[in-house]
Amino acid sequence: MIDHTQSNAHANGSIPLTQLTRGQSGRVQIDGAATDEIKMLRAMGLRPNASITMCRLGEPCIISLSGACGGGCRIGLAKEIAGRVMINVERQSETQPDGQSNG
Amino acid sequence: MSSVESAPEISSRIIAVLGNPNVGKTTLFNRIAGIRAKTSNFPGTTQDARHAECCGAMLIDLPGIYSLDLDVSESVVCRQVLDGDLAPAGVDAHVPNAILVVIDATNLMRNMTIVAEAIAKRLPMVVAVNMMDLAKRRGIHIDLERFGECIGCTVVGCSGKTGEGVDELMQALDSATIPDRSAPTELDAIEAWGDDIYSLVAAARETPVNDRLTDRLDRTFTHPLLGVVTFAVVMTGLFWVIFKLAAIPMDLIDAWFGTLGGWVAGLLPEGPISGLLVDGIIAGIGGTVIFLPQIVLLFFLLALLEGTGYLARASFVIDRVLRPFGMSGHAFVPLLSSHACAIPGIMAARSVPDPKDRLATILVAPFMSCSARIPVYVLLTVILFPDSPGMQAIAFTSCYVIGVLAGLFSSLIVRRTILRGPSRPMAMELPSYRFPDLKAASMLTYDRAMMFLRKAGTLIVAISIVLWWLGAYPNSGSPIDPPVDATPEQVELLTAKAQAKNSFLGRIGDTIQPVFEPLGYDRQLTIGVLASFAAREVFVSTMAVQVVGSDDAEDDSVLASIANATRDDGTPVFTRATSWSLLVYYILAMLCLPTLVVTAKEAGGWRWAWLQLGWMTLLAYSGALIAYQAVSLLS
Repeated sequence: MIDHTQSNAHANGSIPLTQLTRGQSGRVQIDGAATDEIKMLRAMGLRPNASITMCRLGEPCIISLSGACGGGCRIGLAKEIAGRVMINVERQSETQPDGQSNG
Repeated sequence: MSSVESAPEISSRIIAVLGNPNVGKTTLFNRIAGIRAKTSNFPGTTQDARHAECCGAMLIDLPGIYSLDLDVSESVVCRQVLDGDLAPAGVDAHVPNAILVVIDATNLMRNMTIVAEAIAKRLPMVVAVNMMDLAKRRGIHIDLERFGECIGCTVVGCSGKTGEGVDELMQALDSATIPDRSAPTELDAIEAWGDDIYSLVAAARETPVNDRLTDRLDRTFTHPLLGVVTFAVVMTGLFWVIFKLAAIPMDLIDAWFGTLGGWVAGLLPEGPISGLLVDGIIAGIGGTVIFLPQIVLLFFLLALLEGTGYLARASFVIDRVLRPFGMSGHAFVPLLSSHACAIPGIMAARSVPDPKDRLATILVAPFMSCSARIPVYVLLTVILFPDSPGMQAIAFTSCYVIGVLAGLFSSLIVRRTILRGPSRPMAMELPSYRFPDLKAASMLTYDRAMMFLRKAGTLIVAISIVLWWLGAYPNSGSPIDPPVDATPEQVELLTAKAQAKNSFLGRIGDTIQPVFEPLGYDRQLTIGVLASFAAREVFVSTMAVQVVGSDDAEDDSVLASIANATRDDGTPVFTRATSWSLLVYYILAMLCLPTLVVTAKEAGGWRWAWLQLGWMTLLAYSGALIAYQAVSLLS
C-alpha cells in the first residue's frame, strides 16, 4: 500500500489515494513491507482490497471505508500519508456523495 | 480449562476489557461498572487506567487500540497488562483471568484483528459484539452462535447504550473458557481468517455509508477557512461559557472559605495553630478548590464536544497550524485546556499518540496563559494603561498571543534538538456525528475532578503551608514606629509589613534580589515573584501584604496602593519599565510548582520538569531583561 516509487504503481494500474476525485471509489492495494505505518493503517481498516470512497480531498483527506467492513466508517488522513496509499480505481461514480455533479 | 482453574483467588480475579477505539468499549464498561469505576494510572506510564470491582472480579478498561502489535504507548500498555506485567495502581499485577473483547457490530471485519490477537493469548475470553442496536438499524445481521463456533468461545451480542445483553455478558464472563480454536498470528493470515469468518457469520448491505449530512459537515469543519472560523467560534463559546459560569461557584467557594477562615480564627486564640489552620491549610485548600469549577466545566464541555464527533475534525484543522512547529493536531486539546490550567492540560496530553509529540506538548503547555495569570495581567495592564480600557484590552490579549507564540517557538526548538524527528502525520478515525453521552461525560468529569483534587490539591496545600511558615516565621514581633495619629488598622498594617520584611521569606528575598536587579525588581517584587512559585495568583496578595500589609487584594484601593507602592528608598516600585518587565516575566516564566510536579509525572522523569523550568526561566528572564532595558532606554 505504501509505495515510494509511484511510477511503478501507475504502471500497475493503481494511483495514489490523493489522485481520486470526490465520490470516486477504489480498492486498497498493498505493496511493500509491513512498516509501523502500514500496520497501523491496516489495523484501522485500510487493508488489502478494502473498498474505500473518497469523501473529501485535500488536507485532511477523508475516506469512507465501506462494504467489506460491514457498515463502514470514516478515516481522516494527513495528505502526506494519503499520498502513499495506493488505490486500484474501481469505478467512477456518476454523482458525488452529496449528490452534486462530479467535476 | 475453566476460568476457575486459572483464578485460584476469586478476590484477585482480573478481567481485561480489550477493543478498538470507537467501539463503545467505555460506554459498555460504564454500563457494567457504574459508579464503582475508579481512575488511576498504569504505573510508569501516562495511560489512564479505569477499573472497577464487579461480581468478585477486577474489571480493567484497557486503552482503545487497533492492534496489540503496534509501537504506540496504548498497545504497549495492553500487551503488558495481558502478559501480567502491569496493572492499574493499587491492583496486583498478574496474567488476567479472562479477556473481554469488545467489538463493533457495524465494523465486524476490522475488529477481527484484535479478536485474533486476543485468541493468541490463550486466556479465557468472551467476545462482546457491541452496538447491536445500531447494526440492526443499518441492516447488518450477525449470526452470534456461528460466530462463537468459528472462534471457539462465547460471543454475546449487546448494547452498552441500551443495556441489552449486558446481564448475559456478565454470566458468560463467569464461565469464560480458553478458545478451543486457534487463530493465525501473521497479519495477512489474520486478515484472510477474518474475511472467512465474516463471510460465514455476517450479512450486510454492500452499500457504502453515504451520509450527505456527514459529508457536508466534514467538508465545513475541515475546510481551510470555514474550518478555522468554526473552530474559533466553538472555542470562543466554550471559553465564554467556562469563564461566565465558573465565576459564580468560584465566588461562592471564595466566600465560603473566607467565612470558614474567619470562623476558625474567631474560635481559636491567636497563635501558631490559628495561623497554620487559617492562613496555611484553609487558605491553601481554598486556593485549590476555587479552580475546581473551571476544571469541571472544561472537562465536561470538552467531553460533550468530543462526544459529538467534532473534536476529531478540529484536530485536523489545528494539525495544519501545529505541524510546522513540530506538534500534531492531537496536541490541540491539551494546549486548549492549558488556558484554564496547565495541570489538566498536561494530563490531557496523554491523548497524543506519538511520544515525541506528547513530550513537546507537555513541555510547552505552561506557556499558554492559564487563569492563574489573569489577576497578574489585570494588575499590570491597569498600572501600565491607567486611563485607557482599550489599551488594557489590547495588552491583555497580547499576553495570550505572546504565550502561544512562545509555546510554538519552544516546540520548534525542542523538536529540532533533543526531540528531533518529524511530527507524526495524522491518521484518525472520524467517529459518526451524534448526540453526546451525558452520563459518560459526567463520569469522565468526576474522574478528572477527583484526580485534580488528589494530585494538585495535596501539593498546593503542602506548598501553601510551607509558604505560610516561611512568611510567618520567625515571629519576632518586629518593632515598628507608627505615627502618633495612626489608627489601630494602620498599626496592624505596618506590623504585618514589618513581619513580612523580617520573615524567612523576606530574608530570602533580600538574598535573591540581586539576581532580579537587572530586571528592575526590588526586594518586595522579588518576594512576590518567589511566592508565585506556589501559584501565580499568589503574586497579587503577596504584593498586597508587602506594600500594604493587607492580603485583601480584591479591594480596588488595595490595587491602587500596590500601583503607588514605593521602594525602601522612596522611589516607585512599579515604574513603566519594571511593569513591562514583570508582565513579560509572568507571561513566560514557569511559576507553578504543582505544574512542575505534574510535568515530571506525565513526562516520565524529573529531567523533563527541570528542562521545562530552566527553559521557561531563561526565556522569561531574557524577555524581561530586554523589556526593562528597552523601555528604560526609550523613557
